[in-house]
Parts: sequence; structure tokens; C-alpha cells
Amino acid sequence: MSVAFKSAVDDHVLDELRAIVGDDDRVLGNLSSRVNRTRVPAPFPVHRWADHMPDVAVLPRTAQEVSEIVKLANRLRIPVVPRAGGTGLADGAVPLRGGILVDVKLMNRIGEIDLVDRTVTVGPGINMLKLNEELKRHGVFYPDDPASYPCSLVGGRIGAGGWSLLGARFGHTRENVVSMEVVLPTGEIAQIGDGGGRKLRKSSTALNLKQLFTGHQGTLGICTEATLELAPRPETEFAAFFAFDEYAKAWETTGRLAKSGLATLAGVVLFDEWKIAYLRRDDEAYIEQPPSVRAVVAVAMYGRRVEVEPASRVVMALGRSAGGKYLGDEISAGDWASRHDRYAIPLHGRSVEGQAVPMSWHCEDAALNYSVLPQVREQWHAIVARYRERYGIFDDWGMFAYTNGPYKPWADYLVEIDVGIWEQKLDEENWAAWVACKREIAEVTLAHGGSITACHGATRAGDAELVPAEMGSAWPVVKAIKRALDPNNVMNPGKQSLDQAYEDET
Amino acid sequence: MAGDGYDSNGDRELTEEFVERWRTNAYGCFSSGHKFCREVCPVMQVTRNENHTPTAFHANIVAMEQGLVGVADVADDYVHCTQCGACELRCPNTLMAGDFYRHRTRTVDVVKAMRALMVATGNEREGWRLWNERLAEAHNEPVLGDAPVSQEHVADWADGLDIPIGGETILFVDCEAAFHRTSYTRAFARLLQAAGLEFGLMREQWCCGGPAAEMGYVELARRHADHNVADWRAVGAKRIVAPDPHDFIAFTEDYPSYYGDDYEFEIVLGVELVNDLVKEGRLRLTRPVERTVTYHDPCRLNKRKGVHAAPRELLRAVPGIDFRDVDHVTQWSYCSGGGGGLPIEKPEIAEEISRRRVARAQELEVDTLISACPWSERPLSAAGSAAEQPLEVMDLFELVAESAGLEIGGHAHAPAREARS
Repeated sequence: MSVAFKSAVDDHVLDELRAIVGDDDRVLGNLSSRVNRTRVPAPFPVHRWADHMPDVAVLPRTAQEVSEIVKLANRLRIPVVPRAGGTGLADGAVPLRGGILVDVKLMNRIGEIDLVDRTVTVGPGINMLKLNEELKRHGVFYPDDPASYPCSLVGGRIGAGGWSLLGARFGHTRENVVSMEVVLPTGEIAQIGDGGGRKLRKSSTALNLKQLFTGHQGTLGICTEATLELAPRPETEFAAFFAFDEYAKAWETTGRLAKSGLATLAGVVLFDEWKIAYLRRDDEAYIEQPPSVRAVVAVAMYGRRVEVEPASRVVMALGRSAGGKYLGDEISAGDWASRHDRYAIPLHGRSVEGQAVPMSWHCEDAALNYSVLPQVREQWHAIVARYRERYGIFDDWGMFAYTNGPYKPWADYLVEIDVGIWEQKLDEENWAAWVACKREIAEVTLAHGGSITACHGATRAGDAELVPAEMGSAWPVVKAIKRALDPNNVMNPGKQSLDQAYEDET
Repeated sequence: MAGDGYDSNGDRELTEEFVERWRTNAYGCFSSGHKFCREVCPVMQVTRNENHTPTAFHANIVAMEQGLVGVADVADDYVHCTQCGACELRCPNTLMAGDFYRHRTRTVDVVKAMRALMVATGNEREGWRLWNERLAEAHNEPVLGDAPVSQEHVADWADGLDIPIGGETILFVDCEAAFHRTSYTRAFARLLQAAGLEFGLMREQWCCGGPAAEMGYVELARRHADHNVADWRAVGAKRIVAPDPHDFIAFTEDYPSYYGDDYEFEIVLGVELVNDLVKEGRLRLTRPVERTVTYHDPCRLNKRKGVHAAPRELLRAVPGIDFRDVDHVTQWSYCSGGGGGLPIEKPEIAEEISRRRVARAQELEVDTLISACPWSERPLSAAGSAAEQPLEVMDLFELVAESAGLEIGGHAHAPAREARS
């Protein structure tokens, strides 16, 4: 069976695309349009920019247009790469083999707002902040709240299987998408939910396909419409930051807070020593703390006053129960309120000699259980230190651990290590070093029973080759599903080692 | 040929200078790459085309440094900008590093510099070229439409107001306000007169040169600045009153960059001056104005200069008014569409931006949209008239003058020219 590995976009294909969308301005084959749809905020091999360019970008307005584009691609074995905000922290939206890039930003319509059955139906190109601006007047909100809240788009959140800062209280993207319309890799349009029923949250009919179509990194289809949860707007929020003189106490406190059983708990965040040291050293917005502050725990709650106010007293007691020192109302409320703006701000890091140099931020994530956080942390930092010492283009910006289980925050954590990369210095050798560094980080995760990504995606070299190992005995099932839905491997090919689904056939 | 590194006309040196000048600023954005700017950018909200994001404006420079694209390849991207400045405010680099290092991601300047490079390398846009050709001939902007623009008519707006020429305080009148919306200028002048302020006009007022600079016509802009500064000095001017926010930007940003320390003028912003006159009791707003209004934050006041308090204070000083405000941060993502030469090159995008701004106002169930910038008032008026339920657009000075009981005269729309020369 032939498989789409190389692009075959020629003038004939461009003509067909123009005929499908009926608007030349939405079929973009010019160099700038391709150059600007090549990367995402993940570290990017600038020296290999041209290798990642799509051959053409198309800006569809309707599911029907997407369907026709994908049918064309499938017929001619041309790779298709879906792109929403292009703000992912892995490479879900980065073309690996050229092809047709389907940019869904024009599909940003807000459709039905159903205040009775509590859903809003939107196009995949809408941003959550923009959506919530519209929903505010109705006293409801869509509670998907990643750090990238002001910039990521609903379609990308679904493709990536996003994680929300408020997930412990309101669930993550998966829990907040009630159903969706998806264009499959062969071009058919399917309504995907828990069972049938566009506005139902729970069903036992047939197979639960909604889970399958959330977090596939654009490899199983393109979401063209989503029906989303509407939660009551919280009456109040409460945030508290506690400082610790050692990591162990902060880790202990994080566990106590996460296991508190408080229903309004929206999230607990643990900042380790490296993170505090980095903030102290290089974060322009850092509010000076005494040197004894070596780790910090942040906690937030959302809900009705009758719930949150008494619960806040429990949080204050737990936060102080293992030596935590409350950092005050101003820092607590202010830092939590600026949680989105604090996202990816560094302009610089440090060379091995301590010199400030321009660096990009990379955030390597994993899903891990609470019990292994201390050991994983030590090993991850040791890996980065080794690469930093040897190559001189990396910097360790510390680690976070965030409660990860939707509604059940007590045992799972999204763990991130922030690594600065002097991207302008990237060449083949340094890029290979970065990929190897990523791989070592992921291997530590797997050795501790973790998953190599909680939300960013395991799409790129360094992660992708470990996906079969992580999936283990389920990997044949994954391959069978991919091959069944995408017989010609046209949908975002090259990601997550899914090419292996086709190896038996060649 | 596109894609061979630099554009075909061989201006490699200019392009390299441009990249060298802007690469660090561009890399600050590229290394973050988060596009917070996307959802506040008025153009991007309409086109949803990633090439039109401020992120792309910076990424293109990194791509130029890599030899991946040349000026010709990216020129069209930089046409898609009103130079409103929202992206700079919303940039996480500005937000979090700004207070400490006074860092502000510079995107408006990048757009201006790229447009200058486009002109220098033969990649200029036809509409802008014609516009600036006419400016070079008439020394006032060929404001959109059929208004008769010439030095002969530049002070027609002041007929009957008995304003002297020269003096220590000079009122500088924007071309749009001198030829198109003269009611705005007359209202402002009448307010100053009513407060007993002495001021005069220039002997020969040329365009401030700001729009030419915005479109990349650097030398033309400089020539106009030189003329105006010489005229100010010739009449002994010490302070320049600029009611128009675009002029205010030119006089406080462009001119100082031209002349450095050799620029002795105090620049006074019209809306702050009038607000002060009201607060000091030198202007009395006694006549109630029975209108339900909201206020449009002109981008060059709010986003570029951080001026949002004075216009609101002034509005609230008008008796009888029902003022339904939208805060100035929410308005970072609003724009009239009138700036940066966009209506000349991309009128359909500018019109859609205006339509959306008017629709926002209508959600508040107001009868009048008040602005404080004549450049915004033309597109907003057009959108307001075209709306299913028409919305009147009025300038803040016109409103305040009415409340002060002053007869204004003039017109809110330029009369059609009888015969075009």
C-alpha cells in the first residue's frame, strides 16, 4: 500500500484547492504564508526551517471545505497538517513532510449558546478568552484555562488533549468538550461524542469515541466544530502562595492540599528549588523573597462563597502545617491573577559562564504520580546539568508540578522542567544534543511508571520514538486504529511513531 | 527571485542593515512565540491570517536573517497593520519585563521600518505611492474623498473665528481635521477661545508628516517636519497644541527622533488641555446634553500613549449625559480601522474593523459613539451610518463645546469638491 511520505502539491492540486474553497485568498502558496506556518513555540531547528514548511496553506470556513480538502489529499496521498493557534509546546502543528496545512483560524464562529442544557457550540478557531468575553453576560464560562489561555484555540486544545490550570475543579479539555464534529482522514464528516447525542456528557452506547478524538495530535482528523461545557461563573476565587525552606516540606504540603477533599480546589502547584533560584536570578518580575525561601506551593479554589470561604481556612491551615509561610494576600492574588501573562516571558538565560544570552523557553512535560516526584526531579535536573555543561547552549529554569487528575487531584501530577535554549546557536550537533536530552528526560519518566507527556504531545524526535514503549501491549491497538481510520497515512504523518502502523504492509 | 535570500533588485545592504537593526527585538518575540497579540490585533481579528500577526512581523526578520525570505516575499504582510500598538501592550515580554526594564516590544516601529525598506527597495504599494506623491505636491495630505486639499484652503476651517497667525502657542491642525471634519477643529478652537487662551496658527501649515512616515516615506516625512519646525521657530512658538492624537505621536516621537536635543517645543495634547481647563473652572459645562454615549479609545491615545483617563473625566463632566463606559484595557482589542494607511491599501479590512467597533458600541444600546480622534471618526461615522440601526459618531470636543454652549459651525464631512483639479 502506498503511503504519503512526500508532498505532491503541484499547480493542479492548487487549482483543485482553489475550486474547493472558491476564494484564491484562502489558498496560500506564497513563501511568507508557508514560512509563518512552520513552527510553534517549541524549540525549533532554525537551521532547518525550510524542511518544515508546508507546500500550501488553506484557510477553510466550513466543515464541507475541510472535508473536500482532506478527500483530495487522501486521493493524491498528500500529507495534511491541521493547525489552530500554532501555540502548542510540542510539534502537533509542525509539518514534518510538507503537504497541505489546514489552518482553521477563520472557523471561529460562536454558534448556539444553550443556557438550558448548558452548552456552547463553536468553531475550532476560537480562543477561550474571546469566547468567555461573550459568555460572561450569560453568567457562565468555558472553564478550559491553560497558561496559554489568551492565545491557544479550541481546535488545538482538542487536538493536543489540553490540560487546564483549573482542571482539579472543572476538568481539562477532554472533560469540557461535550461532543465534536470531526473530518476523518478519508474526508468523511463524523459527529463524535461519548455515545450519540450532541449535548450528552455520559453514554454507554457503542464505543466512547470522544476520548479517542481528544489528544491525538492531529493524527486522526480535524475538528471542525465543538460543543462545549458551560459552567456557572464562579462567585469567588481564592489563591494562596506558601514558601518553604526546603523542597521536602513543600512536596509534603502539596500532597496534603491535594488530598484535602475540598471540592472547590481547582489546582495545587509546586515550584522547586531550581525554579525559585531561576526566578531570583533572571525573572524581571520576581518579587524579592528572603534566601530561606527555596520552594513554593500555590493553591487556588473556585466556587460559591459559602463553599470557598470556609474552605480557605482549611487551606491556610494545611499550607502552614509543614512549615509553610504564607506569602501574603498581594503576592497570592497578584501572582495567580497573572498566571497567563507569566507564561513564557524569559528573554534570556545564562551561558555556562553566567553570561546573559538570548534564549528560547522549552517546557518538557510528563505525567507522574505523586510518590515519584522527588526522585524524578533530581534525575531530570542532573540530565539538564550534564547537557548544559557539555554544550553551553542550555539553561535549567527549574520545575513545576501541577495537580493533573481531572476532579481527582490527589495522586497525579503534570510535571514540567523549563529548559532555556540558545536557539540561535542551533546546528545539527546541538539539535541532536537537544533531542537526546529530551529522550533521556522521557526515559526517566517511563522508568518511574509515568507518561512522557501529560498535555503537550509526544510528537517530535526525542519523545516520539518512545511512544511504542510507553504504550506497550496497547501499541498494536493504537496502530490498528490509526491504520483503520487513516489507510494512507495522510493525516499529520510522522508524528508519535505512528508510521509503524504501516510498516507491516510495505 | 522570491526565496533566494534577498529581493531581486540587489538592495542587499539595506536589507542587512534592517535585519541587524531589528534582530534582537525580533528574537525576543520569536523566542517566546506565543502570539498573545493575535487576539487583540484588529486586523488579525478580521483576516485570521497568521501572516498578519505581529508574531509574523518579527518571525519574518529571523527568516530574513536565515536567508529564507526577502523583502518582496514578506512586503504584503506589513501592509496589514493600523499601527494601533495593541500587540506591544499585550506582548508577554512587555507585560512582565516592562515595569522593570522599561522594555516594550517594538512592533509599530518594525512595521514602519519595513515599509521604509519596501520604499527603498522598490517594493512600495501603489496606493501609498500615489498618496504620498500627492502629499509631496500639495504639502497636505490628500485626505480620502473629494475634499479640496491645498495650502490655499488649509485654514478655511477657521473662517470667522478670528485666530491670529503666530505667537508663543500654536494650534496645529491635522489635515483630516482641516479639510474633512472641520467641526472638530472649530469646536476645539472655540473651547480654547472661551477659556481665554491665546493661540495662533502657523504661517504655512504643512502636514505633520506622520502618515508618510507610517507608510515608509521617510524623506518626505522629514521634509514636512523640517518645514513645520522652521515655521514654528519663525513665529517664536514655544508650545504646540496638538488636538489630534496622530499629530501628537509625530511631535512627541518622530520629531524628537529627527532633531534630538535640537527640539525645544512643549507639545500639549488637546484632550488633556481641555480637561484641565474644565477642572480649573476656566471652561464651564453648563448645558445638559441628553445623550446615551460610549467612548471609543483612539488607539494612539490609549494604546500608544496611555491616555485614557482625561477623555473619560471630560465626558463625565458633561451634565445630563448617560455614559456607558468600556474600560481601556478591553479596548486594547478595539480599533476604528482608520490608522496606519490601512484604508488606502486595504479598505475592505478597514471597513470591517470599523463595522465591528460600531457593533460593539451598539451592544451597549447607546445613541452616540464619542471619539477623540478625527481619523477614527470618518470610518466610524461611515460604519455608524451603514448600520441597520444607525449610530451617530461625535467628537469629544464637539460634545464638550455643545455643553459649554458654544456655536461651532463647520462640517463633520467634507463637502464634495465642485471640480477636481
